[in-house]
Amino acid sequence: MLPKLDPLLHSELRLAIVSILAGVEEADFTYLKEQTGATSGNLSVQIDKLAEAGYIEVEKGFRGKVPRTVCRLTPQGSEAFRAYVKALRKYIVAGK
Amino acid sequence: MENTIEQNREMTAEESLSLITETLNNSRKEITRRSGKYYILWGALLTFFSLVIYVLWKLTDQEAWNNLWFAMPVIGFLLARLMSRKDTETHVQNDVSRITQGIWSAFGIFACTVAVFTIAYSYVSDGALDLGRTIRAMVSVASLTAEIVLLFGLAESICGVALKNWAMKIAGFVTGIGGLAIYYITGAAEEQLFIFTFAGLVLVATGLIVKYQYK
Repeated sequence: MLPKLDPLLHSELRLAIVSILAGVEEADFTYLKEQTGATSGNLSVQIDKLAEAGYIEVEKGFRGKVPRTVCRLTPQGSEAFRAYVKALRKYIVAGK
Repeated sequence: MENTIEQNREMTAEESLSLITETLNNSRKEITRRSGKYYILWGALLTFFSLVIYVLWKLTDQEAWNNLWFAMPVIGFLLARLMSRKDTETHVQNDVSRITQGIWSAFGIFACTVAVFTIAYSYVSDGALDLGRTIRAMVSVASLTAEIVLLFGLAESICGVALKNWAMKIAGFVTGIGGLAIYYITGAAEEQLFIFTFAGLVLVATGLIVKYQYK
């Protein structure tokens, strides 16, 4: 039986956010916006959902006088991402 | 990312995996592209300092102009800080960017320590500070030029390995080995400064290649 795909990650924008964060130590909001091409509002909503689930941590601060929001993947998020990729592979193998 | 990800639609397993692969690759490319401007900065400084010191040395016959080298890391560090501040809008860091920063910092510390050590040794062994003798010790006896250009080439090649970038790997090899060749071919000490001019130009070229490779 195929494992259930994590509904939180099985959405295009949230998966893109987590994938970006999986490849870096940290990234700020503007970088995520630049890379995904999403609007600030939508990106902000999805970041909040991932943070509420404990998949990412969000740090709001300033660099000089400029406000900056930095996001990082948590160990829980990292584990969920690994499990999601593993499950995807099973789906692909099963589909062949 | 080429396409705008705005919808929160569900994807097939293949689409999801392809999105993950594309995103991870884009992050690596972006970090490599961003390192390009620092290569251009340090390459331009190296070229500038080597040519200025060469001209001053040649015109005045004073080897002490080599002390100007110590101003280069200070100016470079300040300019790099200024450039990194302009990056406040988008910030991203991963292991690779931290490793490459570490490699170049280690190179800077090695090069400065060897230079300071040679000066200190010359001072202690002579019992007096003779700049001419000190510089001769740095350039001729300790083969400082050869050591630094080899370290430089090695640092650049290792960065290429960390960033999985062939242009950097080759440029590092060309700088290290090419620099050594110039060292052995040139006779007069001041002409050995062209090794650093050469290294600087290779660094600028690497930076430009990296910057436009991932544009």
